[in-house]
Amino acid sequence: MSAPGGGLIGSPAPRRKNRELLTGEGTYVADIRLEGQVYARVVRSPSAHARLLGVDTSEALRVGGVVAVITADDIDDIRIPIRLPFAESPEANAVLQAPLAADVVRYVGEPVAVVVADDPYVAEDAAELVSIDLDELEPVLDPANSTESSQPLVHESFGSNTIGRLAYRYGDIDAAFARADVVVRRRLRVHRLAAAPMETRGLAADYDPGSGVLTVWGGAKVKHFTRALLSRVLGLELTDVRVIEVEVGGGFGTRGEPYPEDILIPLLARRLERPVQWIEDRWEHMVATNHAREQEHDFELAAGADGRMLGFRVRGWCDHGAYVRTQGLLPVVLPMVHLPGPYEWPAFSMDLDAVLTNRTPVGTYRGPGMTEATFVRERMVDILAAELEMEPADLRRRNLIPAESMPFSFMPGPGSGAVMPIMYQGGDFVTAFDQMLDGAGYDRMRVEQRQARADGQHAGVGIAAYIEFAAVGPFEEVEVIGGAGNVVVRAGVGSLGQGVETALAQIAAELLDVPLSGVTVEFHDTAEVPQGFGSFASRSTVLAGNAIAAAVDEMKAKAAPLLGCGPGDVEFRDGTATAPGDRSVGLGDIGPTRGRFEKEGLTASFGGAVCSVSVNPADGRARVDRFALAHDVGRAVNPRLLRGQLAGAAAQGIGGALFEEVAYDEHGQPLSVTFADYMMPTAAELPDVEVTIIEHGSGSNPLGIKGGGEAGMVGSLGAVANGVADAVGDGAEVLTSSVSSARLWHALHRPRRA
Amino acid sequence: MKPPPFAYAAAGTLDEAVALLDEAGEDAKLLAGGQSLLPLLAFRLARPSHLIDIGGVEGLDILEEQDGSLCVGALVRHATLERADLSGGWQALREAASLIGHLPIRVRGTFGGSLSHADPAGELGVVAAAFDAEIVLRSLRGVRTVPARDFFLAPLTTAADPDEVLVEARFPTPGTGFRSVFEEFSPRVGDFAYASVAAGCRLATDGLARDVRIALGSVGPTPVRARDAEQALSGSFLDDTAIVECARLAAETCHPDAGDWHADGTYRKALVSHLVERALRRLGAGP
Repeated sequence: MSAPGGGLIGSPAPRRKNRELLTGEGTYVADIRLEGQVYARVVRSPSAHARLLGVDTSEALRVGGVVAVITADDIDDIRIPIRLPFAESPEANAVLQAPLAADVVRYVGEPVAVVVADDPYVAEDAAELVSIDLDELEPVLDPANSTESSQPLVHESFGSNTIGRLAYRYGDIDAAFARADVVVRRRLRVHRLAAAPMETRGLAADYDPGSGVLTVWGGAKVKHFTRALLSRVLGLELTDVRVIEVEVGGGFGTRGEPYPEDILIPLLARRLERPVQWIEDRWEHMVATNHAREQEHDFELAAGADGRMLGFRVRGWCDHGAYVRTQGLLPVVLPMVHLPGPYEWPAFSMDLDAVLTNRTPVGTYRGPGMTEATFVRERMVDILAAELEMEPADLRRRNLIPAESMPFSFMPGPGSGAVMPIMYQGGDFVTAFDQMLDGAGYDRMRVEQRQARADGQHAGVGIAAYIEFAAVGPFEEVEVIGGAGNVVVRAGVGSLGQGVETALAQIAAELLDVPLSGVTVEFHDTAEVPQGFGSFASRSTVLAGNAIAAAVDEMKAKAAPLLGCGPGDVEFRDGTATAPGDRSVGLGDIGPTRGRFEKEGLTASFGGAVCSVSVNPADGRARVDRFALAHDVGRAVNPRLLRGQLAGAAAQGIGGALFEEVAYDEHGQPLSVTFADYMMPTAAELPDVEVTIIEHGSGSNPLGIKGGGEAGMVGSLGAVANGVADAVGDGAEVLTSSVSSARLWHALHRPRRA
Repeated sequence: MKPPPFAYAAAGTLDEAVALLDEAGEDAKLLAGGQSLLPLLAFRLARPSHLIDIGGVEGLDILEEQDGSLCVGALVRHATLERADLSGGWQALREAASLIGHLPIRVRGTFGGSLSHADPAGELGVVAAAFDAEIVLRSLRGVRTVPARDFFLAPLTTAADPDEVLVEARFPTPGTGFRSVFEEFSPRVGDFAYASVAAGCRLATDGLARDVRIALGSVGPTPVRARDAEQALSGSFLDDTAIVECARLAAETCHPDAGDWHADGTYRKALVSHLVERALRRLGAGP
């Protein structure tokens, strides 16, 4: 293939659709109005754990305008499957969720019935009249002791609240601890968070009995998987299911996975032969859509007196909530592969349990697993630094995997289970780490910290370094169709507002030498885009971008005979394929061309965050005064969009550290179901996020791209917690990822440990 | 669409509002800015039979001094109060208004709505308590005046009867040299405060504090006056010792009990002490 350089790849082109979206002209799923449309309202469990003795729909059915009310009795006994083969296990498959609860409800918010009416007001009124007869059971609420025998079972038939234990052994861990001069041990907790995109979920579905085609609007992220699932559970031909993506107001990993409603609404549309729309409200969103992050880790870190980190042992409990959903065991798999991070450990030993509780199921949220693991490890590194009285940046630098050791792997040793091996293809972590510190002005931050302390303020600086695994395969396929003066790219990824269509258009425009405005990227409709894996794991630009490159190579191969030259002699110039001697052929004459990019494994990239924090001990308030991050994206296709992605993710992360928490009471009732209680940060609480983009290239794909959509999140919880810990010094120990003012005040005013 | 069914009527005049409310019976609610009522309706936590909309009633947005009191009409928007040209004695009222929610909320939300809603975190009720405001209620039965200390009965519960419209509150004009401030702690800008303080006093020419007023919010079912703290400070200098002691006494006065999951009672008491201290230091620092 040609070696693309300069030009459009790497240019800060404005995001497509900015104008439509900012002027209110975008079409979101709630904007869809179809002839004869009816409205669904989901009736949800008010209890965290109870036997479901009966559901009485008779009163609701008597309400004028009600079209249908369904319960589990009215649908097939199905389970929503795990979407990713590597996140499956027989145990996980035993606790999948049915679209409607049949015998037991296992979390507040679990769907029990659906009311459909010809008016959304009526649907809400009638939904209140569905009477649910419950026999209350004790809920399981604490992941770390969910496995104790005194605890009730979330799934009685499964017989345990542990649905998997992952073991990973590397090196001689006993020897590492035996020769350690220092061992630090802590129990660290990551609190439960929700992605909470500004647009809640929603669906519209329409079944045309004439053609037999079911059309579903509102699915994004994994359209082709959703299509296959609907085809299977509804007994329709794959080609008779169309999933269409409309504008999306934020995904962050949670939106767009197939949830119970993604089965129920299409099923109702087909059964009623009327278009059905369902729009999730915020209360529903906070109980129905995947939560994330909650886990606890007992972590022991062994080190030499010189600061060489010799090994770690970790025993952890990763909450999956009441059911395993489409992302399977990722809530335990991803923390595990990210716990070692960028350091050259001689040995480690990890045992992580996947556990169940009677709360909303857990899935992936931007920077999944890696954000949690980075908090745990980086907090422990700072605790070690304090113990050794070493400068935290120096301690990290001393232990980073050196560039000459690349590629590097921690191959699982004896005693490991079936785990994904941890491998880093390349990178220069030490240089990148120093680029991050330089970009942040780390030395100046420390000087300012000393000045602030001299003035009696509680000022801290926090660092977190991480590895992000992203850009997961297995493949992405695109079609490139050239015409006179324009090019259409059809790709099976999704737009969640991240600007992927802009980045893909830049790649196609550069490789084909056409103006950016001449490239249209189509990804909205499964009827037009036959295959695709979706948008998650910071994969879209990497996978689809390289598929475009493959399609362009294929176009050269197809143009060569037309031009009477070899493929290597074909060059694209100004919208035509040219050969030496001024021969040329229009892109439209080459015909549609497919390109496929297959990718094994995950691409590791290095990054980190540095922040300065001030804490007021009188009221417990922590402020992040500065936040700087660095991330190796291999190659920035669009630095403007990338900065936006990185800064936005960092803002979410800072909010997660300072304000946001999904809380439950002792009965398993959710407490954070509004934006008054689930406190997202506003601009007033956030610093400017300073971004350093590192372009170390990637050998794993021809364009040299790595993931970038999530990375701003990864170091956030760890860096903020370390900054807060540094600010309060010996005054309090920071052992949870939430540093809310109340938590911090209590930590500061707790009777001191001996 | 979220609210449960209700009947709706808009009043053009105060007489009409009073009549409509009387006719609708005890499950009716008045609607003005809607900034508290509409979320309650959306969650179906409130199920009024009728909404009587007083948003268009003339003459309820009075904001002026009359007969030795500042009259604040029920329909005065928080944003208006926040920007009003109120002299030093009323500064707490302006500051409190500026801390309510976010600007779009303050543009719509009304003074009468805030008092009537009687959320323990409501800023204006705390100022009303501090200033011994008189709350004017009107119904077909007539007009009556309820002092702030008797108006707030419990969270979301006031002494107003179901047929009464809150017309205005009257804040007695304090003596010359009186100054007041408002302080609160909320996790984010615009959040419900975990604790709030309205404080005021007059520093006499001898430098001693007189007419000390301290009221606390978010730390009990209703706004609470910290009378022990007021008395302790009265007649003393606003020096460090007096301020710290006064703050301690104020924290002792309040009983936030368990608080809530965001902020428990112990933390809220600590915030009270911190906020009272901050408020008094501002008063001591002069205008």
